Amino acid sequence: MIKVSNVSHYYGKEQVLFDLSFEIKSGEFLFLSGESGSGKSTLLSILSTLLKPSKGELLIDDESVDKIKNIDYFRQSKIGFVFQFHYLINYLNIYENIALAALDDKKHNINEILKKLGILELSSRYPNEISGGQRQRVALARALVNEPKIIFADEPTGSLDSKNSIIVYELLAEALKGGTTVVVASHDMRIEEYATQIIRLKDGQIL
Amino acid sequence: MISLKALSKNPLKSLLIFSSITIAVMAIFLISSVSQGVIGMYSKMIKTDGDIIITQKGISDTFFSNVDIGLIQKIDNLEHVASSYGMIVGASPIGHIPIAGIYGTTANHFPHYKLTKGEYPKDGEVILGTNLAKQFATRSVNIGNKRFKISGIFSSGIGFEEGGVVMNIGDAGELFNRSASFILVSSTSPSKTDEIVKALSTLSSEIEVKTTQNFVKEYNQFKIIKNSSFVISTLAFAMGLMGIASVMSMIVNSRKEEFGIMRALGKSRLFIIKNLFFETLIMSTSAYIFALLISIGILEILPHIDMLQGYVNGTLSLSTAMYVLTSTIFMALLGSLIPAWIASKTDPILLINQGCA
Ligand SMILES: Nc1ncnc2c1ncn2[C@@H]1O[C@H](COP(=O)(O)OP(=O)(O)O)[C@@H](O)[C@H]1O
Ligand SMILES: [Mg+2]
Repeated sequence: MIKVSNVSHYYGKEQVLFDLSFEIKSGEFLFLSGESGSGKSTLLSILSTLLKPSKGELLIDDESVDKIKNIDYFRQSKIGFVFQFHYLINYLNIYENIALAALDDKKHNINEILKKLGILELSSRYPNEISGGQRQRVALARALVNEPKIIFADEPTGSLDSKNSIIVYELLAEALKGGTTVVVASHDMRIEEYATQIIRLKDGQIL
Repeated sequence: MISLKALSKNPLKSLLIFSSITIAVMAIFLISSVSQGVIGMYSKMIKTDGDIIITQKGISDTFFSNVDIGLIQKIDNLEHVASSYGMIVGASPIGHIPIAGIYGTTANHFPHYKLTKGEYPKDGEVILGTNLAKQFATRSVNIGNKRFKISGIFSSGIGFEEGGVVMNIGDAGELFNRSASFILVSSTSPSKTDEIVKALSTLSSEIEVKTTQNFVKEYNQFKIIKNSSFVISTLAFAMGLMGIASVMSMIVNSRKEEFGIMRALGKSRLFIIKNLFFETLIMSTSAYIFALLISIGILEILPHIDMLQGYVNGTLSLSTAMYVLTSTIFMALLGSLIPAWIASKTDPILLINQGCA
């Protein structure tokens, strides 16, 4: 469903991705692995349309990302994100944070998802009133609310202990079962056992 | 509504924006009002009882003007003249007060100063303005090197006068060594004013005759006050507005991460700008109203502060208030929306990372 062809990226003059080409198929659990600084986040940002690559092209469902007419709607309806830091809006409570991301016709999903992730009773709390593990589950709920075709997660467990990390992996695996494509960038090798495909990066190149 | 939540959930930030806008707007109001007020008071004082003013030819300041008081008899005989009076305006230490206004006038002008106590002054006597009277419990007072008996207290509603003394023009003439600073003439009907001006001009070659309206317009002191107050209030205005714009843009920059997240969630640029627009509007309008109320309060109190002897007075005109309102909102929006618009064009992930840095 996503095709990357000859993508390179520069920050200023520094090249951090070198002519990458590969494909992500629907229903896959792709694990982008590599050491810190290898370019995982940059690549993930490009894959998820949050960063325009300096060179090369990204095709989603055979359409060039540059040609997508309403990129906002595209992001909201087709893509879910989970970042290392939860990135919840601090002045909105948990329910409102998820409602902010939800499409109008998906708002009825909110309570169901909160319940599934075991955080329904936190609905009216604010992000600074819950634990790190709970925040990451809220972020996941936010990513799932629109039933996206694909979920991107960048070090989703980077700030969590191992118990909470496992919970997040299990939830991602469950999303995969529900038909969502999952792409996770992480240096945590435990993800390997959930992955159906692995891309190893080193210094901006695929090993 | 999301804008209200953003404001109320970050009370410290909101308070910072609110108070800096409030202070900026207040500075604008107070500086421009006080200078407008001073001019207004002075013009009122001159305009109250005369349509025409006669001063010494070629003298730009009434403080230096010397006109022969003897002219009054000829003036009163002219056609269409209702009345005329002579006046000396000066300033001198009065008792322990370092400087206060002295108004020497012909007796026919005394009724302008409403007595609240005692009677109008005879030669060697003065009446004190209400504000000045608060400073004296004695029955007489030293002015210049002469001692005057206090015969009464008056009120006129004009700050300048209420902080000074009124005496007979003869006494003032001795103090300031002149006959009269100016003579004010009122006509029987406004349509005759120009005719009288012409007739008066022929009376003496040493006088300058103007309608009080023209006089106020052309008076150098007013021009200086007007120009300098214009410069000062424009500066205060500019500084206040720059402050508002820069506070707003600082706030917006500190929220780049939030905008990046919203963009990543698929929220449109318009959504972000729209919410920020309402936030800014709510913030700047409420700060403006708050500043307006405080300023009106301060302007209300100013004339009653003893230390100022009623000299500092301020009037806030509707047009100034409206002008400041529109520019405040405009600058606040400019300061917030431009950086927000630029930010919203950046790749979301870069915004998020910039926000962290
Ligand atoms: N916004 C940025 N500006 C400049 N350099 C960056 C930026 N983001 C990442 N880099 C650099 O790009 C390289 C790859 O970073 P990144 O994609 O974050 O790798 P990873 O996620 O694997 O740690 C690193 O050398 C990093 O310093
Ligand atoms: Mg990274």
